[in-house]
Amino acid sequence: MGDIAISCVGVWKSYRIYHQRAHTLKEKVLSRAHRYEDFWALKDINLEVPTGTTLGIIGPNGSGKSTLAKTLAKILNPNKGSVTVNGSVSPLLELGTGFHPELTGKENVFLASSVMGQTKRDVEGRYDSIVDFAGIEQFMDIPVKNYSSGMYARLAFAVAISVEPDILIVDEVLSVGDESFQLRCWDRITELRAEGRTIVLVSHSLPTVHTLCSQAIWLEDGAVKEAGTAVEVVGAYLANVHASVAEEAVVAMGGRHGTGEAEITGVAFLDGDGVEKPFFYTGDPFSIRLQYRVHNINTALVCGIAVYRADNQAYMFGQNSAQAGIELQSSGEGFVELTVPSLPLLKGSYLVTLALHDSTITRVFDFFDRKHYFGVRDHPDLPVEGGMFHVPAHWRAGSSTVTV
Amino acid sequence: MVVAGMDELLRSRELTANLVRRDLKVRHRGTFLGMLWSLTTPLLLVGLYYFIFTYIFKVKTVPDAVRSDGTEVPFAIFFFGGLVMWNLFASAVGSSTGSIIGSGYLLNKVYFPRAVLPLATVLSCLVTFAFEMSVLAAATLLFVGFPNAQVLWLPVIVLIGVILAFGLSLLLSAVTVFLRDVAHFIGVFLQLWFWGTPIIYSMTFVQTNSPGLVRALELNPMTGVVVSFRNVVMLNRPPDYKLLLYDAVVAVIALFVGAKVFGRWQKLFSEIV
Repeated sequence: MGDIAISCVGVWKSYRIYHQRAHTLKEKVLSRAHRYEDFWALKDINLEVPTGTTLGIIGPNGSGKSTLAKTLAKILNPNKGSVTVNGSVSPLLELGTGFHPELTGKENVFLASSVMGQTKRDVEGRYDSIVDFAGIEQFMDIPVKNYSSGMYARLAFAVAISVEPDILIVDEVLSVGDESFQLRCWDRITELRAEGRTIVLVSHSLPTVHTLCSQAIWLEDGAVKEAGTAVEVVGAYLANVHASVAEEAVVAMGGRHGTGEAEITGVAFLDGDGVEKPFFYTGDPFSIRLQYRVHNINTALVCGIAVYRADNQAYMFGQNSAQAGIELQSSGEGFVELTVPSLPLLKGSYLVTLALHDSTITRVFDFFDRKHYFGVRDHPDLPVEGGMFHVPAHWRAGSSTVTV
Repeated sequence: MVVAGMDELLRSRELTANLVRRDLKVRHRGTFLGMLWSLTTPLLLVGLYYFIFTYIFKVKTVPDAVRSDGTEVPFAIFFFGGLVMWNLFASAVGSSTGSIIGSGYLLNKVYFPRAVLPLATVLSCLVTFAFEMSVLAAATLLFVGFPNAQVLWLPVIVLIGVILAFGLSLLLSAVTVFLRDVAHFIGVFLQLWFWGTPIIYSMTFVQTNSPGLVRALELNPMTGVVVSFRNVVMLNRPPDYKLLLYDAVVAVIALFVGAKVFGRWQKLFSEIV
């Protein structure tokens, strides 16, 4: 097998959107024009996936992710360009592909596996582990139409993850199972990755792509917007998602005013290592650093910072440097930094109001009203919470009498 | 391209075998007799024909139904023999129209050489044929006698019929994807084709009654197959070499045209089905 598992050269794919599709001869003859338009789902995709890479495909709905996955799996043929695949491919686009309701569980294991390109010998060797995994030994000889939906899903899943192709193409549909399914699925993908197989993963779940994939591409309107390491691409994608939410709010709210005697020259959002980032995780250290230049003032300089949610303009918190007892340099250039050791904000986009004023707020030198923004994601290690804040708290429970 | 397609098809023989197995299992799943139905139906038919032609029509035999040694073959057996060969062809062609459109759920989810689907349909008809063939063989041994060495032609004759059926299946299964009318049209067409093939009548019969039609019948590529099939299975006569050769040529042309059309259009199957 070569070094390149999948290569796409100038791949274009269009769908015909029929306004009224002629299915029968009568319709074909009688309808004057076959009314349809071409919708380009993929536009000039160039891609090279080295063997052993785990590639994530991310992008908003309708950006062409699934079309690309199907094109790589040869289910769809590109209109232009070529897809070359080195090695055997198994697409996992759906649970229970190839299952027939009238056949028994055992028969379906062999049928579905061969549909997915596995040989009988492969399956015979793995049959016991598939049955073990599904946990339904006693039902393997009855037709799957008599299975409960849970049993069906377990068997379909066990078959799906038993495949051992050189190249595995997984669509996110696989992640619809319950939590334990998903965990097993990710375990299996990790295993396959360790064996040096090539994996293409289409996902909406950015943390998944972030942790499982080494490389990623970001599709937007059928074109590759960004390609690189998963960490870079996910970062860029998130920044863009937050930016688009926040930018709408900025257009509506943002403004700047002030006397100009002191001026904000730069704003940065930093993580615990002092690295500038577009988004942060709940619970992580977070700082806002403001650069300023003083032209001509003869009073104490105070910096105020307020944070709002971008989606509903809710006021999250506001503080100023005077309250904290910090004095700002009142001539030349300087900086002031607000650090939150553990960011309490939950997932969302946030707008920041920044102000330089005197100690009584009677004179405002420079005021950016909700013009800068940053994003917050749920921390992968924390449970998902409701509301807007993560409040550190603990629970206690006991029998009927309260003990102090 | 045709050759490359065949090569890919050959590599998917395990999948093909599994799909054939699925077809056969599903057909008789849940029935009490199961696979025995494949034997019961032809047995009942041959009994019915025997009764009708012997006691109602009082037809003993037709001019062609005479073995090389002069023994007469009962008309029911003669008719059933033609029917067994025809059924293989007609059921393969008739069910091919659904072989692609009935598998949309697979086309959209996995890649495999699409021609596997019509091939599996034809092969599962071949399995049914094997059952009918065994009933025919038993009936022939019982009522007619042992075949001679001409019966060695049987595989060649069946193969020609199967190649013709597969060629048409490729063409029709692909065309049906784009034009669903074909599924209805082919049912009627096969009825006409049945009457245009010497199954219920013999070629000599036509020769005597309306000689003008003989040429037209000989153009039907199933004529040589059915006539030769009966010749070698029950009449101890050689195949009709001339007609059989013509049929073989038509079958190969059908296969190439079918493979060409199928190969060109199969890329669109998953989008349209």
